[in-house]
Amino acid sequence: MANKRFIAFALVVVAMASVFAAGTAEKANRTVTIWHSAQGSNTAAFEEIIDDFNSTIGKENGIVVEAIYQGKANDVLTKVNAASGTGTLPDIAMMDATAATDMNHSEHLVTVNELGIDTSDILECGISSYTSEKGLLALPFNASALLYYYNRTLYDSLGVEPPRTLDEMAEVVSRTGTAEISGFAGVPATFELSTFIGAQKGCSYMLNNRNGHDGAATEVLFGKEGTFKAFLEKWKAIYDTGRYNAISSGVTAEFTAGRTAAMLASSSNLASVIANVAGGFEVGVAKVPMVDEQATGGTVISGGALFAFRNDDEVRMVLEYLVSADVQAKWSEQTGYVPVNTKAYSTDAYRSFLERNPLYRVAMDSLLDSDAGLANVWVPSAYSIYYSFQSTIVDVLNGKDIDTAVDEMVAIVDGAIAAYASQN
Amino acid sequence: MKKRNEPKAYLYLAPAILIAAVFWWFPAAKGLVESFLKVNQAGKVLGFAGFSNYMMLFRDKAFLNSLSVTLRFILLFVPVNTLITLLAASLTRRPSRFSSIPEYIFFSPVAISLSAYSLLMKEIFRGTASVANRLLGTGSGWITEPAGAMATLVILGVFLDFGLDYMILMCAFRSIDRNVIEAARMDGAGGWRLFFQIELPLIRETVSATVFLALKDAILISAPIMILTEGGPYRSTETLMFYYYIEAFKSGNRAVQNALSSLVLIVATVAMAVFGSLRRRAR
Repeated sequence: MANKRFIAFALVVVAMASVFAAGTAEKANRTVTIWHSAQGSNTAAFEEIIDDFNSTIGKENGIVVEAIYQGKANDVLTKVNAASGTGTLPDIAMMDATAATDMNHSEHLVTVNELGIDTSDILECGISSYTSEKGLLALPFNASALLYYYNRTLYDSLGVEPPRTLDEMAEVVSRTGTAEISGFAGVPATFELSTFIGAQKGCSYMLNNRNGHDGAATEVLFGKEGTFKAFLEKWKAIYDTGRYNAISSGVTAEFTAGRTAAMLASSSNLASVIANVAGGFEVGVAKVPMVDEQATGGTVISGGALFAFRNDDEVRMVLEYLVSADVQAKWSEQTGYVPVNTKAYSTDAYRSFLERNPLYRVAMDSLLDSDAGLANVWVPSAYSIYYSFQSTIVDVLNGKDIDTAVDEMVAIVDGAIAAYASQN
Repeated sequence: MKKRNEPKAYLYLAPAILIAAVFWWFPAAKGLVESFLKVNQAGKVLGFAGFSNYMMLFRDKAFLNSLSVTLRFILLFVPVNTLITLLAASLTRRPSRFSSIPEYIFFSPVAISLSAYSLLMKEIFRGTASVANRLLGTGSGWITEPAGAMATLVILGVFLDFGLDYMILMCAFRSIDRNVIEAARMDGAGGWRLFFQIELPLIRETVSATVFLALKDAILISAPIMILTEGGPYRSTETLMFYYYIEAFKSGNRAVQNALSSLVLIVATVAMAVFGSLRRRAR
């Protein structure tokens, strides 16, 4: 008797579950899931943009966007890779350039061309930074640029201007640094080097095939073209001033605490740096110093982009909304990113924002003045190579022969490229 | 009677065996097989690789570095952890009216999550203007300098293991037969002698178990590193498991993933067997 009752109960449960399952399946098509990496105060800003969509365009068209925070851009990539084989991918994922190599080989990725989105208003260097031989892999969403942050109060009191070249930087660092406060802190890695090397001779690449954009890179260029060596020589001179603090983490904390006079960081940190300095001194930002007078290429664009994994009107509509001029202007005002939609620059809201916050203009000008051929580096084992670059630079600062260091670094990257090629 | 119960026992064990098979044995076997194959990032088998995956691993400087970092961590962490927990347990081993106070304090680290502790440590040792420097009057960069980062990691490791090890050791001290201790006292053994010649030898088995636990934690440490140092500065705290995490999860390098996990499995199995037989012989 009890058994029969249990079976009847189980049947009811199963029947109910299948009804619900059918319901969610129907709903799923109208729901667009986004895994995002907007951190800190940016989370609220992003959610506000999504809420706006859901209550306006979404409501009219019956689309619901669900935004789920999944950690840093790199964590989102880790999760996307893990979900790739299991059918649990989101519809859209917000990731950065480190995702490009993997996504370029992903069979689940839907390119922007396949979605048929008009990108004529999108920042040119943003488009080129996510273009591979397959087309535009992702729609740029946040643009930022590497900047030279400096303690303006200190610089002004000493009558020092931010440096234009690395030679000038050595001089500035020795003048602004003391026994207590370093003139500069931080060790460059792949991101900084893509600019230091990329800007040389007008436009250079670290790897062939335009840093891996026009097909997987098969050869390292920063060794034989002498660009890494040129950088290391100048950087060593800065270190030799004795006022350089070679730390690889906690750099921003040192800067905001007033313990280093300058650092390199992405423009996307500007708002939080100003907030953390909390009026302790005036923050200044300038373009990244050039390795030498011929290094006129400018700065490589950085920042996040939206990768799509579903090809339909709902996803297209959401993406078009996210890069529209108004949304971009609003997003940039709240986060400090450079708008990826060039039409946003002429909106009244953004113009008056720049007037009130002139520091934000530096990153925008940096990107607009840069050579559009400049490209971020798409390399396998990016995370590991990042650490190798830092270790190599520190070895050189500690006296290792520059040519040996360059050869070793070339061998490491060559090894990663070969390992990847043999496996894929 | 015994026989009749046997199938029933297996029935009760079945869920555990199933879980172990699905989540442990099968993946381990798959990893072992695939470590001799060429597998692409999406998991497709491209061909036979022989020992080339293992050879690639041993040619990788970062891997060799992670081995030496792990070894250094073991040599620092295991003795320090054993001494400190043993010291705390021995000082509070006699139950008294107030002994529950240090017991609660010493056991409390268990109640706080690993990530929370790591974040707390990161905050305490961050930068030169850190809380640690202000308290200690030092000017060290701690997690920004290789030696300081390793020291911070050892401190964090001790905190994480302390509560449980303390509890195990204290219980062992307290479960020593009172008659033995009283007999020793009547024979004139007191203080140091009682501790080193009677009590400590009696809990030897438990101490070796905590050493074994510490060793296991030292070999497998990765999550605190992810949060506290991210392997830095300059790979000075990149342990074996953190290297594995970067290669397998961040870089999607299946060759390293399969070869390293199989290698660790084999080494761990051999080490367990040796450790087990040593203990049996000691008995």
